[in-house]
Amino acid sequence: MAFEPVLMKHVNVPNSTALTVYKSDGGYEGAAKALKMKPDEVVDLVKQANLRGRGGAGFPAGIKWGFLPPDREVTYLCVNADESEPPTFCNRITIETDPHMLLEGILIAGYATKTTIAYIYMRGEFTEQFHILQKAIDEACAAGYFGKNILGSGYDLECYIHRGAGAYVCGEETGLIESLEGKRGWPRIKPPFPAVEGAFHKPTVVNNVETLACLPHILTRGVEWFTSLGTETSAGPKMYCVSGPVNRPGCYEAPLGISCRELIYGEDFGQGMRDGKKVKVVLPGGLSMGALRGDMFPKNPNPDQPDPKQDYDELDCILDFDDVRRYDLLGLGTAAAVVVPEDVDIREVLVNITRFYALESCGQCTQCREGTMWMYQIAQRLRAGAGRVCDLNLLVEISQNLGMMPGLSICGLSDGGGWPVRNLVQKFRKEFEQRIAEQGADAAARRIKEINPAAYESPIRGYQAAEVHP
Amino acid sequence: MSPRKTRLRKMEINHREVSFPEGVTVLRAAELNDVYIPSLCSHKDLTPFGGCRMCIVEIEGMRGYPLACSTVAAEGMKVLTDTAAVREMRKEILQLILSEHPASCLICDEKTECRENQFTIRKAGVTTGCQNCPNDGQCELQEVVEKVGLTDIEYPVYYRGYEAEHDDPFFDRDYNMCILCGRCVRMCQEVRGTGVLAFKFRGPLAQIGPAFAKSHVEAGCEFCGACVSVCPTGALADKVSKWDGQPDGFELSTCPFCGLGCQIELYHKDGRLSKVHPNLDPVVNDGQLCVRGRFSLPEATHHHTRARKPMLRRGKYFREVTWNEALDDVAEKLKGLKPADFLMVVSGDLTNESLYTAQKFVRTCLKSNSIDSTARDLLPGGPGLWAKLFSLPISIKGLREADAIIAVGLDSRFYFSVAGVEIRHALKDGAALITIDPRDSNLARYTNYWLQPTPGQEGAVLKAIANNIRRATDFSPRGAAGKDIAKKTGVDKVLLEEAIGALSAGEHLAVLLGPTVFEYNANEDLVDALLKLAGRKNTSFLPLYNGANTRGVLELGALGEVLPGVAKAKGQGLSLADVISSRAKPKVLYLVGEVPFFERPDCDYIIAQDIYYPPFEIDAFLPAASFAEAEGTLTNVEGRVQELVQIEDLPDGAVAGFMRPDWYIFSRLAERLNSREFKYKSARAVLKEISKTVPGYPAKPNRKPRRLASKAKLPVEKRKAPVAGTGPYLLIAEPAGFGHRGIDLSSKVEGLEELALEEGFRLNPDDLQKLQIEPGENIAISINKLTVTGPTKADAECPHGAIYYYRPVALGGLEQRANLEPLYRLRASPVKVKARAAKATGKKAKKKAASRKIPMAASTL
Repeated sequence: MAFEPVLMKHVNVPNSTALTVYKSDGGYEGAAKALKMKPDEVVDLVKQANLRGRGGAGFPAGIKWGFLPPDREVTYLCVNADESEPPTFCNRITIETDPHMLLEGILIAGYATKTTIAYIYMRGEFTEQFHILQKAIDEACAAGYFGKNILGSGYDLECYIHRGAGAYVCGEETGLIESLEGKRGWPRIKPPFPAVEGAFHKPTVVNNVETLACLPHILTRGVEWFTSLGTETSAGPKMYCVSGPVNRPGCYEAPLGISCRELIYGEDFGQGMRDGKKVKVVLPGGLSMGALRGDMFPKNPNPDQPDPKQDYDELDCILDFDDVRRYDLLGLGTAAAVVVPEDVDIREVLVNITRFYALESCGQCTQCREGTMWMYQIAQRLRAGAGRVCDLNLLVEISQNLGMMPGLSICGLSDGGGWPVRNLVQKFRKEFEQRIAEQGADAAARRIKEINPAAYESPIRGYQAAEVHP
Repeated sequence: MSPRKTRLRKMEINHREVSFPEGVTVLRAAELNDVYIPSLCSHKDLTPFGGCRMCIVEIEGMRGYPLACSTVAAEGMKVLTDTAAVREMRKEILQLILSEHPASCLICDEKTECRENQFTIRKAGVTTGCQNCPNDGQCELQEVVEKVGLTDIEYPVYYRGYEAEHDDPFFDRDYNMCILCGRCVRMCQEVRGTGVLAFKFRGPLAQIGPAFAKSHVEAGCEFCGACVSVCPTGALADKVSKWDGQPDGFELSTCPFCGLGCQIELYHKDGRLSKVHPNLDPVVNDGQLCVRGRFSLPEATHHHTRARKPMLRRGKYFREVTWNEALDDVAEKLKGLKPADFLMVVSGDLTNESLYTAQKFVRTCLKSNSIDSTARDLLPGGPGLWAKLFSLPISIKGLREADAIIAVGLDSRFYFSVAGVEIRHALKDGAALITIDPRDSNLARYTNYWLQPTPGQEGAVLKAIANNIRRATDFSPRGAAGKDIAKKTGVDKVLLEEAIGALSAGEHLAVLLGPTVFEYNANEDLVDALLKLAGRKNTSFLPLYNGANTRGVLELGALGEVLPGVAKAKGQGLSLADVISSRAKPKVLYLVGEVPFFERPDCDYIIAQDIYYPPFEIDAFLPAASFAEAEGTLTNVEGRVQELVQIEDLPDGAVAGFMRPDWYIFSRLAERLNSREFKYKSARAVLKEISKTVPGYPAKPNRKPRRLASKAKLPVEKRKAPVAGTGPYLLIAEPAGFGHRGIDLSSKVEGLEELALEEGFRLNPDDLQKLQIEPGENIAISINKLTVTGPTKADAECPHGAIYYYRPVALGGLEQRANLEPLYRLRASPVKVKARAAKATGKKAKKKAASRKIPMAASTL
């Protein structure tokens, strides 16, 4: 494949975090180029490149910057490095191997949005990465890439790292801002959107690490190069992660628009399943975006007219921002696929997913707080061999309440919590029903205990003993 | 800012065109047009939270289901509030809310029969359903369930299993019933500005409470009860009225505990006061109260030691008599007394009617001016100064508009916390706050400049500010404060100058005076400062004195030298200070709602007319009606004449008692003394007469702020007292306690007892170390030849070199504080004293103390 990696070009390069190594390879040239342009020209350039946000929703970055009120006095740039979507680790690799690429992106984005202070909101668990990035910032400051009058352009930018305290919801942009302000990390009601009133009541831009890392390359290589990569609506390179029992799990860079099958089986990517197993489920965009059926199901002989009653292999899904929706996925997400092999019980997958959202819901909106917990409880019940067919309907109902319609909760966490559950139940209903049919005679008795252990054990301590509190 | 006229806009709700004022949310617009949208987490005073998700609606042109509570209504919006999809979704969401709320009663088939034939014990230890919930019938959740029409819950009822929290005073918390609407948290953070409550944990484990597992007392809770008032469920409940059930109704009344005169709603059940809620009155308290007003009223009037019957001493016995017998006996004693043989002491908590009748009774029936009030101590500088201060515009709500605030000697945690709320609102709008207080206070947390003078020098600092403040934004205050001021007061010169600069930048200046500054002996500087500021433009005062009707005492002439309407009286009778210092010895002492002594003073005959017995032997007791049992009016600090409403109207009887309003008792006594001028039929009639005597006084309760118009110019008393005594430490009396009609409420209200301030001396920990005293050990303090010992407490809020003790604002009902009593008698503050560790420590001292206690207990029996 003729694709030359750009975002990951310094992986496996010795001492790649040093400024000298980065500069030897054309580093900070993009920033120098940008600083000679007018800020609005940079925004236009990014708009032309159609750089879509890599954090998950795929909102075009240039348009997001365009929402900033033109008469603003102060703007903040928040860099979302709170990478907490379960199987995702591409930002970590960027920070670990190429922190200056991120910093250069911050400089360009900061200049384009007339920001004076940039905050990097960093996942609390990133300890080593924090030190690497802090060292890089110090180095860049000393070299004059941050601070006053950067590269003689008269532009000032300060950059700080803020370390999170460990919450999934702080990766949501308003949750991130609340946490940055020192408050309880949970989302704000929108509108006002952060571009109008964000951190410290000032216009704020929140961008993902990978989005910013693309910026230097757009400036040095040009818009044509960028749009030539990827599909028509999804341009540019993307870092794909693949995990699970594949032969070569890891993070790989490719132009947007490779298929899920390629990601798992391709020579440059996962190189196939371990022990020749077949794939049962793929969650291709992090947990929240939903599930695809794997190749243990037959291929659809007639892709244009699928039979809704049949379960088909869905690995041909193209992983860009638009094609995923054809397969009933919420979006591309972080493009981090987690592969589940054929011999894993689908109920285990369900429990695993629901547990994550039950623990990470912030507790603000009713449906998310209660709904994620009930989904987890029902999933546990199914796993314990105490399920009913109507539980599946209940799961679908809850997950629809959670956020099938946008606006049913303040942030997207509940959408992300409900979507994979509904996907799993709908796409693998036959297996669920089969498992329920296989249950033992004592299913009803077990069921009662699974519903509410508190009612059967000590009324006060039973709840705490339940698995909701691992 | 004057309230702007809001423009009306038009929108469509459910295909009906409606109008709404600009800037409101869709929820409010619907509410104004009588369209019901269910909602649990929204509240008119609070920012939208968007948590409960019940208020989802459909709006044309908007994606999905936006929230009515957080969407601002716009011109031409088309809203559908009750479509099938919305209704279905609301039901689902409500089910999820109820799945973690013990709500099985809501959907039980037999709920009606159960309520009618209830034979379970209502006071269940654990609330498992509406039937044993304290909030049954007043619950917003029940209302929403009914309106939404939910009849079945698909989820099993899940009990969270938290332990109910009963540890803190005044309100119980059972977070098993909490629906996490966050109203209490927002109330505490946004409106009260205290931030005691917060969300803890996340997701299904989310819970409400003070952070870091602190108790409410530790976390700095003001116990204002605002969280309890906004709770839609029974998770938060008043301890006192928890099991009273749904009240029969409420009456709008005035809080009888301090001069702010907050408007309250007195809820009653079966003819008895049940609980108190703040009224959303926009001019005084705006839905806020302090701990006294919110929680103390029911217990203050219903305590089991409440004196309900007339009593007379007959030989050895103090026994119940009829009203006629009591009045005859008292009238007999009062007949033919010389002015020097009689003194009536009235409380600053009485109603206007009672104060007026009291002074009229003394002046017409007994032909003397021997009437005095403890309010005199609360208003230093004498009637002259206060007549002038009260003639200035005073406004509580004006604080909100001030852009520079000076708070002198004020801690608004338990006292005047409504004023504290107003200050925090002004700060939010960008006002500058300067606190002048030697002690650390809760306001010092928010202040821009905390000027910390040596105790007693607050007035001097205020004077320096008053002399140097200029209204100009570019005013440079450098050199404003002389070196001598800095040396005299101990305030840093630069800090003082910066503070003056910050104050000068503001246009509207507000000056708050806390009760501590009124307690000092020397008041010359303070009086000078106040007179100087009184002539300043755009300056408003808010004196925060103890006593609910202290202004009324002055206006209605319940002081010896002042006649109603602040006129000069001819000749002066006895005064309370004369009796306390034993300069005078009246034969008959008539105490009306006031207990200014710890022990029986040297008198032949003592009449007490109060709601509780005084702690010493008396000869006649006339039971007075409390705030809930009689009509009347109170004059608040702004001059509003506000109504007290009678809500308890129980017939005379052994249980209900035989209490009478004070003015009524005076009238009946006057009849027995052959006076014909006391033919009042109601409190209103008295008020009518007042309006004829006192210029500017309304004939009906009138909530307009009123400037005092005095008939005569009275002299301003300036006391220039050098600090007495010798020694390295300053001893300061700080007025404290929760006084009402001479009684310390902490002896009657269980919760206040926990907040009450303990006896003893408080010193900075460093000073204690220097003196080699462990906290809790005794300290011996010598003032000239007098030596007092008492326990110590380490208090980091105290400045160095100062020893603080609490001087109770009311002595009645307090435990005998034998060892501090000489200090109360001394009435000097601040005093230079010597201090050392008390010698007799250890077992001996404890034994001594124990042995001393026994005869005391016996004597009270």
